[in-house]
Amino acid sequence: MASSSKDTKPTEGAKAEQQQTPETTTQQKPAALEEDDEFEDFPVDDWAVEDTEATANTTTSGQQHLWEESWDDDDTSDDFSNQLKEELKKVEASKKR
Amino acid sequence: MEFGKEFYREFAEAWTTQNGYQLGQTISPDLPAADLQRIYRSMDTEHLNWKNGRNDDYKTLIKRGLQNSGVKAQGISPNEVQGWAEVYHAYWKSTGCLFAAKRSQGNQGSTSLWTEVYDEWKKLVNALIQGYNSHGFEAWTIPCLYMAGKHLRLFAMKADDERNKNAVDNDPSAAFRDDFDPESEKHKQLEDCARVLNRIFTVCLSDRAPLAESRKWGIYYIINLLFKTYFKLNSTSLSKNVIKVLTAGRGDMPDFYAFPKSQQVTFKYHEGVLAFLEENYVEAEKHLTEAWNTIHKDATRNKELILTYLIPCHLITTHTLPSEKLLEPYPRLQKLFLPLCRCIKKGELHAFDVALQEGEDEFVKRRIYLTLERGRDIALRNLLRKVFIAGGFVTAKEGELPVRRTRIPVSEFAAAITLGSQEKVDNDEVECLLANMIYKGLMKGYISRDHGMVVLSKSGAFPGTGV
Repeated sequence: MASSSKDTKPTEGAKAEQQQTPETTTQQKPAALEEDDEFEDFPVDDWAVEDTEATANTTTSGQQHLWEESWDDDDTSDDFSNQLKEELKKVEASKKR
Repeated sequence: MEFGKEFYREFAEAWTTQNGYQLGQTISPDLPAADLQRIYRSMDTEHLNWKNGRNDDYKTLIKRGLQNSGVKAQGISPNEVQGWAEVYHAYWKSTGCLFAAKRSQGNQGSTSLWTEVYDEWKKLVNALIQGYNSHGFEAWTIPCLYMAGKHLRLFAMKADDERNKNAVDNDPSAAFRDDFDPESEKHKQLEDCARVLNRIFTVCLSDRAPLAESRKWGIYYIINLLFKTYFKLNSTSLSKNVIKVLTAGRGDMPDFYAFPKSQQVTFKYHEGVLAFLEENYVEAEKHLTEAWNTIHKDATRNKELILTYLIPCHLITTHTLPSEKLLEPYPRLQKLFLPLCRCIKKGELHAFDVALQEGEDEFVKRRIYLTLERGRDIALRNLLRKVFIAGGFVTAKEGELPVRRTRIPVSEFAAAITLGSQEKVDNDEVECLLANMIYKGLMKGYISRDHGMVVLSKSGAFPGTGV
């Protein structure tokens, strides 16, 4: 992962690269560990209910907000939607001809 | 702790107060090299101190030390003392090997120091198993099994690494050679370790004492060790076997929720991932959600691992995407999932294919590729819905609410599907995709082939949404 992020910025020049050397070496360490997909041992054996994810990160309304509520994207002003509309117009136009 | 008065006092205290974790600590190998060396050498000093016992071997010395520690007055049986003497003798020998292995770490040359550590440590594990089987070790001492099992696995992996590294160093071509069965050779020690852990599993499971004093309380810790081992060995079927055995004996088992949360979470995570790999997503989501809810809020890396599987699960079961807030603390998950999620949400089919291809290596490595691939259906569904929305409304009769255009030419869908891609998709293929959507219940309506039209349902053409 660390190597791929390096790949994306080869244009930044050697100077930036040099300055970042100490950082990148420290970054590589966890990257090597990430190879390992193993579930880690917890530092403690047990914990209070207050420290569980469900209790600690639940809002007062009792919701965790993990997921988007709707799977619909009603934003029709983005690039892709506009492109789509153009395309559909073309289809319609060719029908009329 | 060095063998000597202090050590025996520690043993006596743990034994008298029945403090399993304190007792477990006395066989911890997780010590700096210098400490290990001190422990190993302490037996020599002990030997000199026992003027009368000059001719005794070290095991006898340890036995005498334990006997004189005050536990005898507490009613320990000579048989049990003998059992612990075996355990500590094996521990003592391990410290010697472990010190040597730690000291030489990083040195060149082919060594098998970690294999020696593994072999010695395995003797300790066997001495413990023997202790439960024939020396009357009580259930409260199971943290010793935890300590022993946990490190057996770590040493096995070190031994495997060491051997594999040596093989490559001595013969660089070995790395590329097709061995007869390279996998099993690569994990030789770990496979052996799995067998030993399985014996510990049996020691815990087969205990028939009343639950309050049963070794069954050790079952989840050991199962979790087995899971980790089998996962590394890539053997999901063996993991499934463990669950089967557990399910069969569940009636006589302590309540799952009475176990420490670290064990609950680790178990649920693995149970969830197993179901996931079998494409049983509903089951997988159930277990993973439980793991998620119970996990310690600060266990970031483990939370990340749970989400790696929970997110694809959720995509399949409920078709919804992770919220930004959920992914916020995990840059790695963002990198993994965000490009795909964006495409799914926007219905950008072609971009979805590209993103899937770009992340292929990573997805395959995490074993989520096939699941994510199924997200294409959701992307397609969202795209078709956009076509539907773009169709606008037909002129309504007076006094009635405007109605959406529900008759849509197949060619419009075709244009949407090919959008962004250079490839041309013919109408038959488009109809096929549409028919699949209808079949899967992601879109309601029918295809009128004669007219080249799709006639969508007037009430909820895209179930699960307002329109």
